[in-house]
Amino acid sequence: MALELVKDKWVNAVSVLTIGATKEEGGSRGRIVKCGGEESLPFLFSEGKIPHRPVIAMEVLDVEPDDWPRTLTSAIGPAIKNPVEWAQKCESEFKADLICLRLAGAHPDAQNKPVDQLVKVVKDVLKATTIPLIIVGCGEDKRDNEVLPQCSQAAKGEKVLIGEVVQENYKTLTASVLADGHSIIAQSPIDINIAKQLNILITDMSMPLDRVAINPTVGALGYGLEYAYSIMERARLAALSGDKMLAMPFISFVGYEAWRAKEAKALVLEFPKWGSELERGITWEALTTTAFLQAGADIMVMRHPKSVELVRNHIEELMRG
Amino acid sequence: MEKFKIIFYPDNKTIEAEKGVTILSAAISAGIHINSSCGGDGVCGRCKVILKKGQAVSLPTGRITAEERKKGYYLSCLSVAQSDIEVEVPKESRLDSETISDEDAYMLRLKGIFSEPVDIDRGEAIISEELFIHSPLATKLYLELPKPSLEDKISDLERIYRAIRAIQDTPVLQTGIANIRRLGELLRSSGWKVTVTLGKRNGTTEIVIIEPGDTSGRNYGFAFDIGTTTISGQLIDLNSKKILGTKAAFNKQATFGSDVITRIIFAQEKDGLEKLHHAVIDEMNVMIQELTQENKIDLNDVTCCLCAGNTTMIHLLLRVDPTYIRRDPYVPTANFVPVIRALEAGIKVNPRGLLDCVPGISSYVGGDITAGVLACGMDKTDKLSLLIDIGTNGEIVLGNKDWMISSAASAGPCFEGSGVTCGMRASKGAIQKVKIDPKTFTVEYSTIADTQASGICGSGYIDIIAELLRSGIIDRGGKIDPSLTHRRIRDGEYGKEFTIAFKEDVGTAADIVITETDIENLKRAKGAIYAAAAMLVRHMELSFNDLAQIFIGGGFGTYVDMPNAVFIGLLPDLPKEKFVFVGNSSLIGARQILLSHDAILDAEEIAKKITYFELSVEPNYMDEYVASLFFPHTDLSKFPNVKI
Repeated sequence: MALELVKDKWVNAVSVLTIGATKEEGGSRGRIVKCGGEESLPFLFSEGKIPHRPVIAMEVLDVEPDDWPRTLTSAIGPAIKNPVEWAQKCESEFKADLICLRLAGAHPDAQNKPVDQLVKVVKDVLKATTIPLIIVGCGEDKRDNEVLPQCSQAAKGEKVLIGEVVQENYKTLTASVLADGHSIIAQSPIDINIAKQLNILITDMSMPLDRVAINPTVGALGYGLEYAYSIMERARLAALSGDKMLAMPFISFVGYEAWRAKEAKALVLEFPKWGSELERGITWEALTTTAFLQAGADIMVMRHPKSVELVRNHIEELMRG
Repeated sequence: MEKFKIIFYPDNKTIEAEKGVTILSAAISAGIHINSSCGGDGVCGRCKVILKKGQAVSLPTGRITAEERKKGYYLSCLSVAQSDIEVEVPKESRLDSETISDEDAYMLRLKGIFSEPVDIDRGEAIISEELFIHSPLATKLYLELPKPSLEDKISDLERIYRAIRAIQDTPVLQTGIANIRRLGELLRSSGWKVTVTLGKRNGTTEIVIIEPGDTSGRNYGFAFDIGTTTISGQLIDLNSKKILGTKAAFNKQATFGSDVITRIIFAQEKDGLEKLHHAVIDEMNVMIQELTQENKIDLNDVTCCLCAGNTTMIHLLLRVDPTYIRRDPYVPTANFVPVIRALEAGIKVNPRGLLDCVPGISSYVGGDITAGVLACGMDKTDKLSLLIDIGTNGEIVLGNKDWMISSAASAGPCFEGSGVTCGMRASKGAIQKVKIDPKTFTVEYSTIADTQASGICGSGYIDIIAELLRSGIIDRGGKIDPSLTHRRIRDGEYGKEFTIAFKEDVGTAADIVITETDIENLKRAKGAIYAAAAMLVRHMELSFNDLAQIFIGGGFGTYVDMPNAVFIGLLPDLPKEKFVFVGNSSLIGARQILLSHDAILDAEEIAKKITYFELSVEPNYMDEYVASLFFPHTDLSKFPNVKI
């Protein structure tokens, strides 16, 4: 008798999030990205359709990052000083699916850049690239409320993904994003209940379910990865079992987390036994990312071109089934 | 040992303190109250004093600003005298019920420390039929004894026993040596006409008091509910069962920490147990004084007290070290406390009067819950019922006459009107019913006793949150919509706030408001209670729908809008007929026990029967709790009838 694999039946699918709009659709992107839509757990093709492969967004900062290790900055090259060139390079050379523009320069403790300068960066990046865009604020509520609605307006028609909103601060940005036809990133602190509460609050403002991405917050390999993994897995199981308020694609800021890890940054001089920092950093990011692929992550926001390549190849293999 | 003289102003009280004693400790010995909510850890910064003369040294603290330091401010808990000193206790550090200003009282009330004893609802019996026969903890019998003669020469004591047994069946009688020593003289000088007070003591009957003449018409007792935040006391005529008065005040132990855990920790410090003990006893004695004076009753005619309280409160009342309550495996020193003399605990009634405490269940489910179960008659029916006592420590009991299980969840004091900006207990002037017009945001409210509003009580808060949700002023997370502009909505010190009543209209010192922080606190409280109830019901593999009745207890006064309590997710989504509002069921139960020996026997049975389910070791509790931190709940399918 042939061994028959146990198959789960799921009643609900993850919603499909569309980022970017072509000329015909009122934007200026060369192509659009669709993610989510899973009808089963990650890569379990026998249990349901997985219509869209996980995508990779590469992180671009509006200011030159001052805390990135050299292994990372040198891989990007001199373009790191200019967000427009950096974004172009991510598209043409590193083959990113999307650009994730982080407006770090908006933070009051950083450069506290004026709004019009930040809006200009958004416009310039849009002009210089053809792939869809994600815009992320500096994380300081007051400043984000000032900056992001302006960016949302400036990008009207482009169907960008903008974030992040949190439970304590979601109304201002959600209202603009809703009005300008974009989608929103809802961030929760590794907590399935808060993730769901925030989604309910956002959709209570009549934001359609398919215009929300969940950032469940992740931890790098060695820094709470398992916990974050289990929260995502639980959320996805709930989504597939019928909970529409958790059935949104996940966006994971894996690059941000992985490159904060000491193991990714420390020089070989400091820890000779750990081996080459170049290889180590890339591996740390790639491994962190592939783990979250298995947890159901749909959009990976990454940093190093080499780990991007590794993960892209890995995704292709997984998608072959 | 070197001693220093410390003079405290403005009281002008002097005390000698040994070198090394903190100024705070010296103040307590001098009978001067200085605020301290961290219990002398140097954390809260509320015990500031000003050094006027002499030298003192202090451990470093960030609680004194540079400017204050220049003015001579010290944190009294971290400072010791280096010479004879004179210090002033500034207004903000004082707790003085005589001179307390409205503003201070308001601030202290917020911290859950101060309130004058106020008249509250007496708590009507929940079950209308008389369940227990009338046999109070202490009864008085007037005896006219036949003089001894050669034909009848039994001893004086036996003579009394014989007379008692001729009236009632009392097999085991005992008498203390103090009474026997006085007996021979007393009987003869009173012409063999005496009143004996008989107390039910641990399976025997004691002759507690022997008085000359007939005082049997004057026999009074007190029932107390000693809560973490609120102490309620009731004076009862033991002969007629009539309630003569009911008062409540905040438990002054809150000075040393707002929850039982902080207080247990504080009890371990030097004199900590003593201070906690005195805080509760003093408050009880004030209530006893006031109620007896108002009713023109001699304290000597108060012959017994009956206390219901959570396990920690009873330990502190009796000055028993509560340390082991919070240490694994969480075992109290005593759940069943024998009847003692009230005076042994410091309660000022007749010096020989009795004190009984309702037996407790576990470290975190106390005699107040036993009393509540008794008052609700949960132990007398086949029907499955749930008792939810909404207090600082929210306790839940599930079961029927065959089995009962309990659980406790730390909910905080806000439904008792403490720890919220304009909270007050359910007494005269408390806003208890609220409606908000969804279009104009006009607020309609009613107060207890229909007097001018002075604050908001628990039932008012339930209505307010429900109405704020309905009118879209707050979202399900409890945040006020930032896009709204209205004269009732403004930015305050603690986030946005919504005005319920303007000060011009009600004559209060400040507007009566609810802040986002208040809503957050109330959300946590309701979340903890709902989560505990949900966990307990699930633990027994039941669902809320299996329950025939849900009793809701707590310091709400006379009213709770059950549909609103469901609407905000405090209570499960069930038809309102299933909810029975019982108010302070602990006080009602305590009164029943005071008035009937049968009731104490039942209470003992209940306490033995109830098992305890520890939520803190239950991995899913935290998850259920966070899911409950939403209006009404993160899982909206649990509240199918709530449409926001």
